[in-house]
Amino acid sequence: MLKLLKIVKDAGEVTIKYPFAPANFTPAFRGKPEYNPAQCIACSACAVACPANALTVETDLEKGTLTWQFFVGRCIYCGRCEEVCPTRAIVLSQNFELAVFNKEDLYERATFKLCHCLECGRPFAPQKQIDYALALTAQAGAGADEMETLKIQFAICPECKRRNHLNDHLSTLCDLQTSGEK
Amino acid sequence: MTQSAETTQNKPNNGDLGAQYVADVRQRFPAAVIDEERQTRDQLTITVKLEYLPEVVEYLYYKKGGWLPVLFGNDERTIHGNYAIYYALSMEEGEKCWIVVRALVDPARPEFPSVTVKVPAAVWGEREIRDMFGLTPAGIPDARRLVLPDDWPEDLYPLRKDSMDYRQRPAPTTNSETYSFVNDLGDSHNRIIPIGPMHVTSDEPGHFRLFVDGENIVDADYRMFYVHRGMEKTAEVRMGYHEITFLAERVCGICGYAHSIAYANTIENALDIKVPPRAQWIRTLLLESERLHSHLLNLGLVCHFSGFDSGFQQFFRVREKSMTIAEMLTGSRKTYGLNLIGGIRRDILETARKNTIALLNEMEAEVITLIDMLVNTTNFEQRTKGVGILDRKVARDYSPVGPMVRGSGFKRDVRLDHPYAAYASVPVTAFSFDSGDIAARVMVRVKEFFDSTAQCRYILDNMPTGPVLTEDFAYKPYKYALGHTEAPRGEDVHWSMTGNNQKVFRWRCRAATYANWPVLRYALQGNTVSDAALIIGSLDPCYSCTDRVTLVDVKKRKVTTVPYKDFERYGIERKRSPLAK
Repeated sequence: MLKLLKIVKDAGEVTIKYPFAPANFTPAFRGKPEYNPAQCIACSACAVACPANALTVETDLEKGTLTWQFFVGRCIYCGRCEEVCPTRAIVLSQNFELAVFNKEDLYERATFKLCHCLECGRPFAPQKQIDYALALTAQAGAGADEMETLKIQFAICPECKRRNHLNDHLSTLCDLQTSGEK
Repeated sequence: MTQSAETTQNKPNNGDLGAQYVADVRQRFPAAVIDEERQTRDQLTITVKLEYLPEVVEYLYYKKGGWLPVLFGNDERTIHGNYAIYYALSMEEGEKCWIVVRALVDPARPEFPSVTVKVPAAVWGEREIRDMFGLTPAGIPDARRLVLPDDWPEDLYPLRKDSMDYRQRPAPTTNSETYSFVNDLGDSHNRIIPIGPMHVTSDEPGHFRLFVDGENIVDADYRMFYVHRGMEKTAEVRMGYHEITFLAERVCGICGYAHSIAYANTIENALDIKVPPRAQWIRTLLLESERLHSHLLNLGLVCHFSGFDSGFQQFFRVREKSMTIAEMLTGSRKTYGLNLIGGIRRDILETARKNTIALLNEMEAEVITLIDMLVNTTNFEQRTKGVGILDRKVARDYSPVGPMVRGSGFKRDVRLDHPYAAYASVPVTAFSFDSGDIAARVMVRVKEFFDSTAQCRYILDNMPTGPVLTEDFAYKPYKYALGHTEAPRGEDVHWSMTGNNQKVFRWRCRAATYANWPVLRYALQGNTVSDAALIIGSLDPCYSCTDRVTLVDVKKRKVTTVPYKDFERYGIERKRSPLAK
């Protein structure tokens, strides 16, 4: 009994005054992911990596938009999204005070425009992702003329590109054949 | 209470293990073994003819020093037309290795000879195989459902590949409970005390039914799986390989990291992935830090259930330091989110390393004083000595794990028996006591706590440098292997088979407590009602399992329902018995 009393006395006060004083954290603590839509290129890497399906993306072909959504209610704070994000658009903060009055407030959404293919008109990729690829190419030292051509090339969907290439290839073949017959 | 300890600086053995056991089986049962396949240097799977299954398992279990931690079914009809059942035996006398006995079951005749008759440890596994795959263990003494609820249709088997889509639910078939509880030792004159399954303050339901004669427990039966989460199905239909490491962490709120490692080990073993040494050491460190907080939690709860709440508060205060260690090392108070197949995601920084050592030292000093205080509390000794005895013979028959089996005189510990992660290079000690009572289990945890702190310090001082993650591997279909970790409650054993669609084909996850439930009945028999909560607590299930007590007096034909609070209060105060009302 005396031993217990001594332990209690030595321990002193161990509680903190939270919420009237800040809670203690170690710097490594992972809290709510903070999202910066300006930085996001809507590549969906985070939605693929998220083990808990807290991050999802949905495309609306009629409106030509892609909606990124984060539902913090499902989040397990593992930080896989931060790990795979190529532009650091999502970074885990130390925020842990997540209670809200409306469930709707647990959702975060961002809508991005899709790029419509110059040839078939079908929406095929987020515009920002294409802009990002162009910016990277320019950064890598592409000239102004080259950029003009690339701008058009990048705005053609993979299927049209494939068809174009196939057509080019076929016509070359035809040319070769006809020249061979002569 | 005699204590013994076994320390091994494990000698590296690079040869393949287990061939002798297979040779012995072949000699003893010349026609039984059809096929033999090696997964790792200490894992061998032998396929035997179905009719030989019980004899082969019995032979390896009792004659060759095997234990049966896990058995499971697998719907392999898409691969070779048959179901397969696997009995994973951990060989612990002589050459230590895993022998998995596999047998094929023809879908046209979904039945197999029950092993439970010969090896009681198979009982839960076989009941689960019947529930999940519809394969009937012929001759099983206990043919009740285990996992499926009473209102689940007869002919729907969730883990069959062609079962109902996992997002849907079948219509309930009945409105009433059809489960019958067994009372072998008593008779109809016993009072029945059901405990559970639901209470608003509990997140883990379980139903205990105690058959009592006055204050004495004559027999006990219980039922779990009220909140079966269908994780194995989720893993195989919805998740990718990496995601399951995060799902596995959610198996348990206390020893989640051990599950994550056990799962990652299955895939790493199956695909022969070489995890970098530094990652292995960090994994070991985190597994041990998990043991620190879990053992302190249980020591606290033992105080609580023996009516010593001040002690409970003190253990929980000190336990907070181990949570801080986890937060510092992993970014989460619960060692979550650090593990991937092939290694870990973040390295440990020098400041974190230093702070961890400082905290470990503080914690150790405090726990020494706390233990000194605890063992000198007279009430504590009186409540735990000679109470809830798990007989050595029962322990041998049912393959319980962790402090439960080590408190009954067996030094079973996969860290020593089948070293994984960095345990081959870190000094580990297995402690065992032979009195088999609650005191023995408590002392095992106390000893292990100090051993874990020593290990953590050793790891932090001697950790190798280098990368912490390898991505240099490719998934191959239909490769399988076991993975195991010694969680604070005993070994977690997992088994996975890779699939051909970037998902696991089958993930079997066996948590430590699953292996301990079947023996609880024997630990409860012969004790008093006031000790029941303490005995169940000494098993260290995630505790909220007991909640509400109904008293049935068969003599007076009277049923009384007592709130759990009252039952718990009686366990603590031992005055004003709710039975006396």
